[in-house]
Amino acid sequence: MRQFRTILSFELKNYFKNKVFVGSTLFIVAVLAVVMFLPNLIDVFGSMGGDSSDEPTEQSVILVSAPSQEMGETIAQALASAFPDQTVTWTQDDLAKIKEQVSNQEADCALVFDSLTSYTYYVYNRSLYDQTTQVANQVLVSLAQVEAMTQQGLSPDQAGEILSLQIDAKEELLGVDQAQNYWYTYIMTLALYMVIMLYGQMVASHVATEKSSRAMELLITSATPVNMMFGKVLASCIAGFVQLAVIFGSALLFYQLNLDAWGGNSVMTSLFDMPLSLLVYLLVFFVLGFLLYAFLYGAIGSTATKLEDINTSIMPLSMLFVIAFCVVMFSMGSGAVDNIAMMVCSFVPFTSPIAMFARIAMSTVPVYQIVLSIGILAVSVVGIGVLSAKIYRVGVLLYGTPPKIGAILKAVWQA
Amino acid sequence: MKLELRNIEKSFGAKQVLQGISLTAEGGQAFGLLGRNGAGKTTTIRILMDVFPQNSGEVLLDGKPIDYRKVSLGYLPEERGLYPKKPIGQQLVYFAQLKGMKRAKALASVRHWLERLGMEEYETKRLDTLSKGNQQKIQLITALAHDPDIIVLDEPFSGLDPVNAALLKDVVKEQIQKGKIVLFSSHQMNYIEEFCQEIAILNQGKIAISGNLEQIKRSYPRDRLTVFSPQYREILSQLGNRCQLVQPGEVLLRLDSPRQKQEMMGQLVARYDIDRVQVYEPSLNDIFVEYAGDHV
Repeated sequence: MRQFRTILSFELKNYFKNKVFVGSTLFIVAVLAVVMFLPNLIDVFGSMGGDSSDEPTEQSVILVSAPSQEMGETIAQALASAFPDQTVTWTQDDLAKIKEQVSNQEADCALVFDSLTSYTYYVYNRSLYDQTTQVANQVLVSLAQVEAMTQQGLSPDQAGEILSLQIDAKEELLGVDQAQNYWYTYIMTLALYMVIMLYGQMVASHVATEKSSRAMELLITSATPVNMMFGKVLASCIAGFVQLAVIFGSALLFYQLNLDAWGGNSVMTSLFDMPLSLLVYLLVFFVLGFLLYAFLYGAIGSTATKLEDINTSIMPLSMLFVIAFCVVMFSMGSGAVDNIAMMVCSFVPFTSPIAMFARIAMSTVPVYQIVLSIGILAVSVVGIGVLSAKIYRVGVLLYGTPPKIGAILKAVWQA
Repeated sequence: MKLELRNIEKSFGAKQVLQGISLTAEGGQAFGLLGRNGAGKTTTIRILMDVFPQNSGEVLLDGKPIDYRKVSLGYLPEERGLYPKKPIGQQLVYFAQLKGMKRAKALASVRHWLERLGMEEYETKRLDTLSKGNQQKIQLITALAHDPDIIVLDEPFSGLDPVNAALLKDVVKEQIQKGKIVLFSSHQMNYIEEFCQEIAILNQGKIAISGNLEQIKRSYPRDRLTVFSPQYREILSQLGNRCQLVQPGEVLLRLDSPRQKQEMMGQLVARYDIDRVQVYEPSLNDIFVEYAGDHV
């Protein structure tokens, strides 16, 4: 036990004295600080530059052309209220002139009407988010409906009342609101993925470095493989956890400091409004998922002779995790987090840390499924931990080209 | 203290690397483990160090199976290597702690050894800033700092200049005098001859010969004489095919039987100008070539 503690504290010191580790953490915290203080900063700079709202701004123009003046003015009036940011102008110019004005970008666009229900839309560059026609269509449908109703003998006020009928809908949430949970689930899943990937690879390269510098010859005769493996992996787990805690802790602190400025932002409020139970699940899946992958990365690292071999050796494992991540991300994007792929992924130990977490966050998962998933994962962690220590013991003494998985397992079996 | 390896067998896959290795090393003595590359020395050492278990056979200390929790071992591996980017003092203390020392004691011991080897100024330096010989001395400290009962030194003298080699010799002698079991593995026969009373020569996973070096030497038939004489040319021409020139001034003379020794010595002294004549004894080098060479 003392040996394990010695290794753990030595490896932890390595992380916390590592300039890259400390530097990158501080950098992320600094970036977060800038982002979180942004609304206040903008206010400060805005007031320094003087208030600009009094200055007249050049508004873009929408041209409307119609067969009759009465029709043109009615349409222009209706559209003007639908496009408050733009100036809607009725024009008597002919089509060639109108096109020229749009081409010269004197006007933003033009709507040339044949009748109340038929028009041509002229625009120079159509933007990705151009919704002019949709908005215009709604306005025109209402116009046509009002006209049809008045022809049937209703007054325009009566017609307007019918069209602006309001539905009173109440909503009561019994499960989870995906729209609200989406952002923090997204960020937490991404954080889980990145931390496991980055630290796993770090464990692999630490082991391979010890091997290539031949410090291993001495380590393996000084400490038991189980102590070495568990010490290293737990140290990286603690380092990863501390880094995450510092980053999210400082983000929360900055958010609290800027609460007034961010108050109305729905993404921010949903992000920092995560329920405590979910945070506990996050912690459980973080620790278990991290350990599972770090053990495997460590075992793979021990089979590489040179640091350069690492990248190819860890590829299959990394691919597995990337696939899991993609499945989760697609499912989250589609809103169907309980689809078959996710169901399977949330019980397979290699994918369950992120898949089950995403399901818990974005859906209502029966308790027995959660318990089962965590149980399978925990048992796998212990099993893989012991197996990886055995691989480590065999792997560190093998030099030359990285051996095949079958050969290693055979050697582990025989040892 | 007596360390015994009894009938150790070990195979990796289909390849049997050790085929019944037995040897005995006593405290207060140095034991020389010899053999060509790939003979099984490192595997034997790793089994002794409990890196992996043997397939069969026993490792005994004072007649009982060795208990690695109670006995401490120090190892200087042939493949040297520590953490190149870490301060020397820090990693030496770490290795001593891994061997079970408390931190304060480990630090005191590391400082003692740095001083003993004239390296105290490097305590806070990074390992990769040191010359190869100095790195070697640092590595030696990892084998000795925790005051082990059994010390295994694999090629301890390679890469050391004569001054450092003399320093290391003193250190090794000191450890032997303290009653520790010192296991030497080296290809530099002169060092083995200087330190080791007992040797074992490994060849293809088997002990080719083992025992007391002096006795091994004496076990050779004493039917050859080494003759040192300025008249070596005359001896060569007159005694003809019994003689063999070793180097100018030195001739090896073969007798029909060891009993001829006295008579032949008398004749030589009477007939020629003889500086010295003695019974030929093989050097460790000769024994090694004989037992570990290709022809075996």
